[in-house]
Amino acid sequence: MKARAELTVEDGPDAPRLRWRCAPPVLLRPTGPRRVHLVQVGGGPLGGDDLALDVDLGAGSHLQLRSAAAMVVQPGRPPAAARWTVAAALASGAVLDWQPEPTVVCDGAELRSRMAVAMQRGAWAVLREMVVLGRAGQRGGRYHGELTVELDGAPLLAHTLLLDGADPALAGPAGTGGARVVGMLAVVGAGLDGPPEGAREEPGLRWACSALDGPGQLLLALGDSPSAVSALLDRSAQNWSEFRSALS
Amino acid sequence: MTVLASLLLADSRLPTGGHAHSGGVEAAVERGLLRDEADLALFLAGRLLGTGPVVAAVAAVGCLLAAGAAPVDWARWDTAVSARTPSAAAREASRAQGAALLRTGRRVWPSTALEALSRTGRPHHPLVLGAVVAAAGDGAGAAALLALHHLLGGACAAAVRLLGLDPIAVAAVQAYASRSAEQVALGAARLAREAVAQQETRLLPSTGTPLPEVLAELHARTEVALFAS
Repeated sequence: MKARAELTVEDGPDAPRLRWRCAPPVLLRPTGPRRVHLVQVGGGPLGGDDLALDVDLGAGSHLQLRSAAAMVVQPGRPPAAARWTVAAALASGAVLDWQPEPTVVCDGAELRSRMAVAMQRGAWAVLREMVVLGRAGQRGGRYHGELTVELDGAPLLAHTLLLDGADPALAGPAGTGGARVVGMLAVVGAGLDGPPEGAREEPGLRWACSALDGPGQLLLALGDSPSAVSALLDRSAQNWSEFRSALS
Repeated sequence: MTVLASLLLADSRLPTGGHAHSGGVEAAVERGLLRDEADLALFLAGRLLGTGPVVAAVAAVGCLLAAGAAPVDWARWDTAVSARTPSAAAREASRAQGAALLRTGRRVWPSTALEALSRTGRPHHPLVLGAVVAAAGDGAGAAALLALHHLLGGACAAAVRLLGLDPIAVAAVQAYASRSAEQVALGAARLAREAVAQQETRLLPSTGTPLPEVLAELHARTEVALFAS
């Protein structure tokens, strides 16, 4: 199944103007003046699916993008990767807060996810991704997650996360080290040229937040349980939200 | 004839400061994640899938750019490497090793391309490696192979020092990993040729694995460490 949904946000005098075009199984539901939920109907994606979402944020517009449920990637027949592509363009002063529910890659499944964000200077973006390798008791399938952020046309972040619960090299000491959950939170925008950053490890959780070579930070976390990683990403996203409020 | 020049570049006795870096091995050893030859083999396989294609392609790009006739915007390619290295600690390790290699390369194989590259500040190691390979008279395929040879060799040398592993067993592990490295280098050099032909940094691979990136940051904050990275 192939589908491409679109969402455009323009800053209006009172409330922002949202325009969208759904493409089943990718449905969009406004759930607040500046918030849209992504609903994937019919389960999946399944192997072979090619689903996409284009997001266009006009100057000064704000958008919270959420998803209604975890994206559970199941193998298809014949075996093929599922594709999920999000392309976002942010004009100056636009704010994108993209925090979907986790992606679960089941045994035998493969997801090729791509998120490409093109920002103008003065825009701000929070981009979250949490991948769970398999349902309980599974090793998990293959995840190939490309995240690119360009600022005024120059690359700031180009990162393709490779995970595979069934590949001893990718689950090994230079892969995930046996962790079942990988979380990422990229924050990009003016005022992010230096700290705060940090790194810590505790039983069942390791994370590091590093400054990018430009105005942005990337938090990368490895954990044994979805709840520990999720709580860390929530906390970090909340901190960044307060940080941004303090800037403006 | 450039075979001996390339062998000199592959030789750990060439003073380029590489011995100060473990390629992430020390942080993994410290945490008990890498204990023996079998773990080392998995570690190398993971590195070849993750950062391997990136460093190999960037080295090939550095070689093609340095060998080309056109003036080169080195800073633009260097920025693309930074974007592919989200860990600040890993970027610093790459820039430190790039500076050390550039110092040696300019003395051993003086060239206008290396002079131009040195004017961009502290370029990343694989970009420098490629330009030095060009100055030594070899091509992009060799540059990609050398980048992976250093990735594997640095990790293996550190594992011997940190764990007291049998050096012959470790050499066997490296030889085995080198076979898959040949394939990685071929694919990376192909992407590099395409990227340079189109002057498009987006065509470069950007693969990575999470644990080395987290450990690089944790290691940089460790007070007592044998290796800088």
